[in-house]
Amino acid sequence: MQNWVKGAVIALVSVAGTLAISPMIRGPVEGRTPDTNVLRTADGKPNLNGIWQAVGSANWNLQDHQARTGPVLELGAILAVPAGLSVVEGNEIPYQPWAAAKQKENYENWLSRDPEVKCYLPGLPRATYMPYPFQILQTGNNDILMAYEYASASRVIKMGKVEPPPVDTWMGQSAGRWEGDTLIVDVTGLNDQTWFDRAGNFHSEALHIVERFTPVSPDLLDYQVTIEDPKVFTRPWKIQMPLYRRQDKGAQLLEFKCVEFVEEMMYGHLRKKTGNEKPFSAARMRWP
Amino acid sequence: MSLAIAATVAVAALVAAAGQEHAAPANTEVAKNWTPPRTPDGAPDLQGIWTNYTGTPFEVPDKSDKPEFYAGDLDGTGRGTGPSSFLNDTTDRQLTKATSLVVDPPSGRVPIMPWAEERRNYKLAHIQDDWVNFTAWERCITRGVPGGIFPAGYGSGYQILQSPGYVAIVYEMIHEARIIPLDGRPHLGGSFRLWNGDSRGHWEGSTLVVDITGYNDKGTVATNVATQRVRAIPQSEELHVVERFTRVDENTINYDVVVEDPKVFTSPWKVAMPLHREPDYQMFEYACHEGNRAVPNTLSGGRARDKGAPSTETQ
Repeated sequence: MQNWVKGAVIALVSVAGTLAISPMIRGPVEGRTPDTNVLRTADGKPNLNGIWQAVGSANWNLQDHQARTGPVLELGAILAVPAGLSVVEGNEIPYQPWAAAKQKENYENWLSRDPEVKCYLPGLPRATYMPYPFQILQTGNNDILMAYEYASASRVIKMGKVEPPPVDTWMGQSAGRWEGDTLIVDVTGLNDQTWFDRAGNFHSEALHIVERFTPVSPDLLDYQVTIEDPKVFTRPWKIQMPLYRRQDKGAQLLEFKCVEFVEEMMYGHLRKKTGNEKPFSAARMRWP
Repeated sequence: MSLAIAATVAVAALVAAAGQEHAAPANTEVAKNWTPPRTPDGAPDLQGIWTNYTGTPFEVPDKSDKPEFYAGDLDGTGRGTGPSSFLNDTTDRQLTKATSLVVDPPSGRVPIMPWAEERRNYKLAHIQDDWVNFTAWERCITRGVPGGIFPAGYGSGYQILQSPGYVAIVYEMIHEARIIPLDGRPHLGGSFRLWNGDSRGHWEGSTLVVDITGYNDKGTVATNVATQRVRAIPQSEELHVVERFTRVDENTINYDVVVEDPKVFTSPWKVAMPLHREPDYQMFEYACHEGNRAVPNTLSGGRARDKGAPSTETQ
């Protein structure tokens, strides 16, 4: 075989192999030769500082989903659900049978059950791909802060060895380490109150996730998460999506203190009536 | 001169002018025989976990105070926020004891306009009517800036992290991550009215100076009972706050803050207090709104009262 043909075949095989292992790969595979185009800190680590955001509709539904009408008739196209390709490897979330039934029930009761409706803390990995920016603040040689615009949520990723989390929490405990150019974050101590998306995908307090943030270029991160929860799923599963740097001039996190936006919904029936209330219209709602 | 530098200089000049006008100089003297640490990019290093437990009352108490009304401090001693006032703090912290955290005016009393006290009194007397009468803390929105750094008695951890061009303060209570840009960018435009205002920082020697404007008028200057009479005092859109963080030794940041709001206070006033380094302090998630029973229970008590239910005192 001529050398150029051999080369082409090897290239094709290797591309096919990569695709077979992980059909959605857009960024580098872990362990790949470091990209010289990656920004670095003084000590040679990838520099992840900046404001990032997922673009896409994973927060609506991690899996393949068509566009559809939203829950409020009067909002027409505004709250209609955008279509999106699956971020789940193989598009299958391996629920145990009872859990598949519960997810369906969650979906049908989305508005009364989704913790996002009530401005509750988003948990992980959902915080990463909500439709709001988040900021990574990487210190010289220590902890890494990820601050999310949504609900003023944040987490400090402790680098190195950490004690087991003392209690379960909404945002869990994040322990980080570098593996080549990938920031690996092991998250444990999550409670069972958060969801993965607006489609009712859920987990138990046995959830354990491992996140991988790998810089692809100065303005693009590859985000992969392995999700395991033996109480809910039959096997670990993976999601992957790109995270983009916000390029807006003067970009900064702004306040999205949404508690204020849900008080009427949560407590309105308990307020003393003055007679001067601005009435709500009787919006027509239906879901699913 | 670049625009950024010009802006920094302008802000510094304004801050300096404000400082000369009404504030006693900050205690920014760094301890002898101690070399202040620097971050890898050469900035003064404030990083670590800090707490603000104190044995010093917020204000100097006065006979005219009604602590049982706004602070729940029945004996009116103006106690601080350490073990003497909060049983759940069982540590053996050595708490500082001074006359008051308010150091200017020299009386140790915040110069609150009468209307603002009346507003506070009305709101605190009507928390059973509407959630807007609570402070933003009970509503689980925020403790505000600078209110979030005033002592509360628990949940008092603050983690400071730094990257080139930024200082971030993670507040344990109400889980806020306040990110302060240091690149000299201007304040946000006037249409932004934020609960915590808009923070812009710069270094003056080893002192981090943060200038905050752009507040909404829904928040309050302080939220917790430990702030006594100042708790639930409203803030206006003209609130302007200048904070100074100076690490004076390995284990101490001197924090001082000048608060001015010409609609609420007759003159600017200043609080000075230390933040103590506590590397082993465990910051817990403060998922406040997620478990907020105070607001709905208080309101529902009010509606029961409206229907003639006996008050709890008679049961």
